[in-house]
Amino acid sequence: MDSRVYVIGRDSVPQYFRLEAGEALSLTLAVPPGVSCRYCLEVDLEGPGASLDLAGLYLCPGAEQVDLRILVRHSVGGCTSRQLFKGIVGGTASASFDGLIYVAPDAQKTEAFQENHALLLSDTARAESRPQLEIYADDVQCSHGATTGYLNPEELFYLRSRGIPEAEARHLQMQAFLAPVARRLGDALADEIHASLP
Amino acid sequence: MEEIIKDLASAQEYKEGFVTEVDQEYVPKGLNEEIIRLISAKKGEPDWLLEFRLGAFRRWQQMTPPFWGHLRLPRIDFQDIIYWAAPKRAEDRPDEIDPALMETFDKLGIPLREREVLAGVKPKGEVAVDAVFDSVSVTTTFRKTLAEKGIIFCSFSEAVREHPDLVRKYLASVVPAGDNYYAALNSAVFSDGSFCYIPKGVKCPMDLSSYFRINASGTGQFERTLIIADEGSSVSYMEGCTAPMRDENQLHAAVVEIIVEKDADVKYSTVQNWYPGDAQGRGGILNLVTKRGICKGSGAHLSWTQVETGSAVTWKYPSTILKGDYSSSEFYSVAMTNNYQQADTGTKMIHLGRGTRSRVVSKGISAGHSENSYRGLVQMGPAADGARNYSQCDSLLIGSRCGAHTFPVIRSRNPRAIVEHEATTSRISEDQLFYCTQRGIASEDAVALIVGGYAREVLSRLPMEFAVEAQKLLSVSLEGAVG
Repeated sequence: MDSRVYVIGRDSVPQYFRLEAGEALSLTLAVPPGVSCRYCLEVDLEGPGASLDLAGLYLCPGAEQVDLRILVRHSVGGCTSRQLFKGIVGGTASASFDGLIYVAPDAQKTEAFQENHALLLSDTARAESRPQLEIYADDVQCSHGATTGYLNPEELFYLRSRGIPEAEARHLQMQAFLAPVARRLGDALADEIHASLP
Repeated sequence: MEEIIKDLASAQEYKEGFVTEVDQEYVPKGLNEEIIRLISAKKGEPDWLLEFRLGAFRRWQQMTPPFWGHLRLPRIDFQDIIYWAAPKRAEDRPDEIDPALMETFDKLGIPLREREVLAGVKPKGEVAVDAVFDSVSVTTTFRKTLAEKGIIFCSFSEAVREHPDLVRKYLASVVPAGDNYYAALNSAVFSDGSFCYIPKGVKCPMDLSSYFRINASGTGQFERTLIIADEGSSVSYMEGCTAPMRDENQLHAAVVEIIVEKDADVKYSTVQNWYPGDAQGRGGILNLVTKRGICKGSGAHLSWTQVETGSAVTWKYPSTILKGDYSSSEFYSVAMTNNYQQADTGTKMIHLGRGTRSRVVSKGISAGHSENSYRGLVQMGPAADGARNYSQCDSLLIGSRCGAHTFPVIRSRNPRAIVEHEATTSRISEDQLFYCTQRGIASEDAVALIVGGYAREVLSRLPMEFAVEAQKLLSVSLEGAVG
């Protein structure tokens, strides 16, 4: 499997991937604090058996403007795509996620999943999600999910009642929230991301 | 599977497709200020309402039709529509209904004659009906029973005459005249519709119901419904629609406004069965509707339930503005499309008040060559502390030539609000079909059974009378979907 990790605002990040029959791509994106961006990614699954495993995290604790637009196009049947995005938005930042899964006519046996979860930390932060499905074939399994919420106060209480200071407890909560994506970044980058949490 | 689920070639039966021969009165074709003045004059409206219409018309002329829907809309020639058609009434017997009209409503199964209803069941099963035929309301039943409780339920024109203050206070307070292209058009030319006012603390003793029917050729229907539930009151309101079969597209652009005051409870149910066009996609109603309610006071509750099986094109987003603290709203929808029907429907939940709650359950079913989209917005305002939304949108595809789409938007500006959205797309699995057929259930019945189960969460929310009708409609619409 082709595994790639990109930090937006630091690396030069491809905006287009084309997967032929049997190709598998694992792609992980990170938007660190302090980066404002509009990033568009397009992935074409053009051969049967191609698979895409895409994950991303975005941290916007200050005044960032982050706009992620993801288009995954299933042109032929028998392909799989998975997407998982996690975002933390605080300060006066605004983050928007726009993800479209397109399944062409006759792209049967497609499996496509997408998730986007955002946490809001402040009154002035904004988060917007537009997960979209456009499906023209019937024998498919497609789903998307999106949530917007905040750090669970009960979890925080649990940690604090065990003697963990509030700031540290909040960091733990955020790390746990980001973990499914952060673990794909490699130790050095994951540590850097954890250290930058608000 | 391929043999079982075929494309829908065979025409489904649209049993409401008949035309009634009644003497009709029309205004000339076309749309300009003169026509609007003529409509207003025919209805004997006060000046302020004429001004409202003209104001809306002038705004409409500046507007362009919305293009963002996932729809292929035929070009609508607004000058080629008759904006007002009414069954002629014999002057000497104003209270009696034309027998031909009566027959129409009988065919539709609407109990217009109070005695029929009274003969059958106890007061609990009663339904007060306001029937709108083309542009006018022909009759409203159970007026007296309702009036005793102080409930006003009448046609819109009558409300303008008899309760002008109420109409003036609330008209366009939820859907402003310039809200969108079709709402502006409706505000300019609206013909009739239902008006309903439930006074403080009154629980409406029966379901209120409106039936809309397009009969005349070349006309459009532009009805306006205004429902006001004052503090602590409650009402269940139902709406049904049908139209004859014609090769032309007919326009239906309605506006529904609902005002829910403190602690009031409104349940609004629709079974929409306009003529969907034939199997080749010719004709059918263009259903371009604006429906919106506001939960004004704290603890107000508004529930939308809709079953959409008809219309060539549906463009409809019943929405709720949750302004009052701790107010709540629900949206339950089943949208079924077949042949070349297109539906772009969903809801908007605008959370403004503290602790507001909303729940969205949308079930789309597409078959044949149809396109079925869910489009929705959930917005959490800065003051919506502790607000919560849960949305679930499922799509079911029957056949490989149809499309099912989901376009939700989630906007949050509040770090103490929670929004959850999930959507799935699937088809009737071979395992489910096999399970049914090996138990001796014919494959067509099996599909109806599975679809019924799939839609049950929504259908069970409908009032009794409508639930039966909706279930029937779903199975009729599915006819021929399996071979």
